Amino acid sequence: MTLLSRALGMLFYLLQAVSGESGYAENGDFDDTELDDYSFSCYSQLEVDGLQHLLTCTFDDSDINSTNLELEICGALLDVYCLNFNKLQERYFLKTKKFLLIGDSKICVKLEKKNMTCRKVNIVKIVKPEAPFDVRVIYREGANDFVVTFNTSHLQKKYVKVLIHEVAYRQEKNENNWMRVNLTSTKLTLLQRKLQPNAMYEIKVRSIPYTNYFEGFWSEWSPSFHFRTPETNGTGETDPVLLTISILSFFSVALMVTLACVLWKKRIKPIIWPSLPDHKKTLEQLCKKPKKNLNVSFNPESFLDCQIHKVDGIQARDEAEGFLQDPLSLQLEESEKQRFRGGMQGPSWPSEQAGIMPKIFRGESPFRCLAGNASVCDAPGLPSSRSPNGREGGKSRPLVYQDLLLGPGTTNSSLSPLFPFQPGILTLNPVAQGQPILTSLGSSQEEAYVTMSSFYQNQ
Amino acid sequence: MFHVSFRYIFGIPPLILVLLPVASSDCDISGKDGGAYQNVLMVSIDDLVCDNMINFDSNCLNNEPNFFKKHSCDDNKEASFLNRAARKLKQFLKMNISDDFKLHLSTVSQGTLTLLNCTSKGKGRKPPSLGEAQPTKNLEENKSLKEQRKQNDLCFLKILLQKIKTCWNKILRGITEH
Repeated sequence: MTLLSRALGMLFYLLQAVSGESGYAENGDFDDTELDDYSFSCYSQLEVDGLQHLLTCTFDDSDINSTNLELEICGALLDVYCLNFNKLQERYFLKTKKFLLIGDSKICVKLEKKNMTCRKVNIVKIVKPEAPFDVRVIYREGANDFVVTFNTSHLQKKYVKVLIHEVAYRQEKNENNWMRVNLTSTKLTLLQRKLQPNAMYEIKVRSIPYTNYFEGFWSEWSPSFHFRTPETNGTGETDPVLLTISILSFFSVALMVTLACVLWKKRIKPIIWPSLPDHKKTLEQLCKKPKKNLNVSFNPESFLDCQIHKVDGIQARDEAEGFLQDPLSLQLEESEKQRFRGGMQGPSWPSEQAGIMPKIFRGESPFRCLAGNASVCDAPGLPSSRSPNGREGGKSRPLVYQDLLLGPGTTNSSLSPLFPFQPGILTLNPVAQGQPILTSLGSSQEEAYVTMSSFYQNQ
Repeated sequence: MFHVSFRYIFGIPPLILVLLPVASSDCDISGKDGGAYQNVLMVSIDDLVCDNMINFDSNCLNNEPNFFKKHSCDDNKEASFLNRAARKLKQFLKMNISDDFKLHLSTVSQGTLTLLNCTSKGKGRKPPSLGEAQPTKNLEENKSLKEQRKQNDLCFLKILLQKIKTCWNKILRGITEH
């Protein structure tokens, strides 16, 4: 019985001695006060050199004396159970191909072959990607934007291929005012209108794993790239040809508007909306004008420009009337026909005639004579309608002849023979004088008719 | 009376033990979301199979090894098949192959076993080795036989890897359906 109890007692003591070892935590909790002194942080970088991976660990406490401290990793390794870290200054690193990348590993801090603290880690959950590089910014003038491109070594890797990239940019004078954009591709477009013109900008990129299996930390920032935005937001970039055309068109439009306003009343409106002449007013004006322009003078010197031909008697009157009646009527008909053919205004026969007669008697400059024009008002009974009958028209025809003689060429040339006002006094010289007179009469009549019709048109 | 109790005590329990299913699966497939397989195992399998690390001739598929006649990825036997296939892969590490080749083989083998998390029976059983060199009369015949054997082994390896990949896809498809 005593022997049995001793055996049981020793058995229990041995069990306690074996399992009651302190200072070892399987679950990785930092319960022991000594663990806080040896706390460390690690990160992994996969495929840094072919199939080789890199695991880097550092103590959180920089003041710790790591002279005799070693790090060891066990578990989740290929073909081996444990591997030791290499030490470089204050950093512990392990470069190997033997990471299984499946399951958890255990990293222990050893002091003289004794485990001081251990920590469970999963290599695929502490991945720190390599920093992006080759950041470039290209300005597209046509699109008014900036294309940001960069490169990353993970595009050629097999494990950590999908990353999230963070692009940060700022205006150099605004410190700590970073604008950030996240993207999965390696290309970003920044609109010019969202940036300040003529400013210097700084831009940089970093990455982090973005898969369900691989997780970890942000990479280091890429080297910064600096670029300057254009001076204006695109206004200085307009096409000079387009600018010139726009300015010219503006000025031409302004000029046209000005001319339209100035010439509206005199030129444009009569063409667009010609006013019908008022006979009464026209006659009144005609009556007034000769008086205004009447320059009576008995000074012989004022008649020097006029060719004075003596008229012998009344007998020549009828001959002249008969001779001039036919060509004149023909000329009038022809002019009227031409006018009709030209589609002139005033299709009605009386209105044209009314338009013609005042025009004929109008005392415009072509008809003026220094000696004074024949007063239309002195002529009795102006016909309202013209008729081919020379008898009726003959009464006024001498006056017509007078004014017709004073054609448009009279202003600069010598006047044709001046007929007196009274028809009865009209006599002609012999034929020698008559023919040239008649021809001049005919030409002046033509000229007069042409002038009058054109004067009417220009009204 | 004593004879009846004796029969029940010493007869039936051994019978029950014998009748217990021998091929019961003790594997617990971890990583059921398929992340480990898609991001790690499949990378190594594709490197071995698709990147021409294994070259085989046209006669490779004609001769189906006996291994696949005995073991297949049948329903409810996927874990068992993968377990055996992963162990078979380890035998190829002894071949004269490159380091990267061995690395990927180890990844597939050990990674599969880690994910399956099986409590294997018969640990003491020595895994059947690949074909061993037979003593021949002259060196030339020996050399040709070695080449032939190596070619056969590579052919078997490629088929094995393809079977492993197919079986994993079957497992993950079943998990997603459920």
